[in-house]
Amino acid sequence: MNWAAKPRLAGGMAAAPAGPAAKPGPATSAAPGSAFRASNGLKEFLWLISDVRGGRILDLGQVSQATLTFFIEKGYRVSTEDFLRSWKEFLTAEEERLRIAPVGEDNRKISQAILAEKFLESAMQYPEESFHGVLAWDLFDYFDAELTSRMMERLYSLLHPGGSILALFHSRPPERFHRYRIVDPQTIELLPAPTLAVHSRVFQNREILDLFGKFRSSKTFVGRDQLREGLFLK
Amino acid sequence: MWNKPAEGNVSPQSSNTPARGPMTPKLNPPVASTAPAAPSAPVFSPPAASTVATGSPSTIAAGLRIHGEFSGNTDLYIDGEAQGSIRLGQSKVTVGPHGRVQADIDAREIVVEGRVQGNLKASESIRLGPGSHVQGSMLTPRVAIEDGARLRGKVEMTKPGDARRVAAAGQGKSSEVVPATPAPVAKE
Repeated sequence: MNWAAKPRLAGGMAAAPAGPAAKPGPATSAAPGSAFRASNGLKEFLWLISDVRGGRILDLGQVSQATLTFFIEKGYRVSTEDFLRSWKEFLTAEEERLRIAPVGEDNRKISQAILAEKFLESAMQYPEESFHGVLAWDLFDYFDAELTSRMMERLYSLLHPGGSILALFHSRPPERFHRYRIVDPQTIELLPAPTLAVHSRVFQNREILDLFGKFRSSKTFVGRDQLREGLFLK
Repeated sequence: MWNKPAEGNVSPQSSNTPARGPMTPKLNPPVASTAPAAPSAPVFSPPAASTVATGSPSTIAAGLRIHGEFSGNTDLYIDGEAQGSIRLGQSKVTVGPHGRVQADIDAREIVVEGRVQGNLKASESIRLGPGSHVQGSMLTPRVAIEDGARLRGKVEMTKPGDARRVAAAGQGKSSEVVPATPAPVAKE
């Protein structure tokens, strides 16, 4: 682990703008009910990938024009996959398949592990080490342990060595479901959205570190809004 | 260990704006105004995607299912099902809210309100409407994605006019086309 060896350039892409205007806030028009949060995790994430020319970013949240534009304008290539929605649709389809299956056919007990394996046969299908950065947002809070661990394995394999993951973890179950978009290099907007899934678990710090145990290093930032940011370096 | 800047040791302050009201899920608005209006009367005549002169779009109406290769210079509105490939490099292709397309689309301008499984390449722009669902890569100088759109795939930007040059690269899943220009974008 040697993130510290990387020099920080003044005025780099992740540098904070100077002056009072640096306060995070709606640089663009805010959606009703949305909230903005200063994000040191995002700032560090951008700093980590700033050396990569034409790097590839994987956004696992709901597609957002703002986030896409943010990275594309900086020369990155972006892949997007609404992972949580795909999981929900997969579960619905599985449920329907089992419901209409003839009695006696394929009536084995479906475990969470089997479901997770099956889901990942079609999700996140990219070449290994093809991404320099992954935006996982708060996905891990919504999955069971079986899918979480397998998803982590897959993410690790997809990341280029030296690549990083930005993830968010709620310190308590959130009052509403949000999706996220990047407003500027240090601000994330939380947009209220129709609930896609029920919040599954609150990770303790130790659990987060264990989950990302294969990564070279991790760094967490705690905000006053009960949202922790984690940055993990492969 | 992290050599964090002085301010980095401090947890980020969140400056949440007060919630202005209860969560109000957005309902999908009706078809966007930029999409060509569906014909007022049902169109069940055979589609003539490559024979109609430019002016009014050729239409694959809801209920029609077409397989094959589409080429020509007319605008195309798809509200039915289409499979194959669509190559209308100088024209606008619109996939209506009921449209289901399994094809790569190569056009001047692409608007998606329905579902597309395939790669999209537009020399001018691609717009994904709020009810759209696209699975495939997008290659274009300008992209507009509205709230509620779903995209599973890669987005790459080209200089205006470059889309054709990088067409071959844009087809492959592992293509590596370097984005060339800040992309004008529509407001989200």
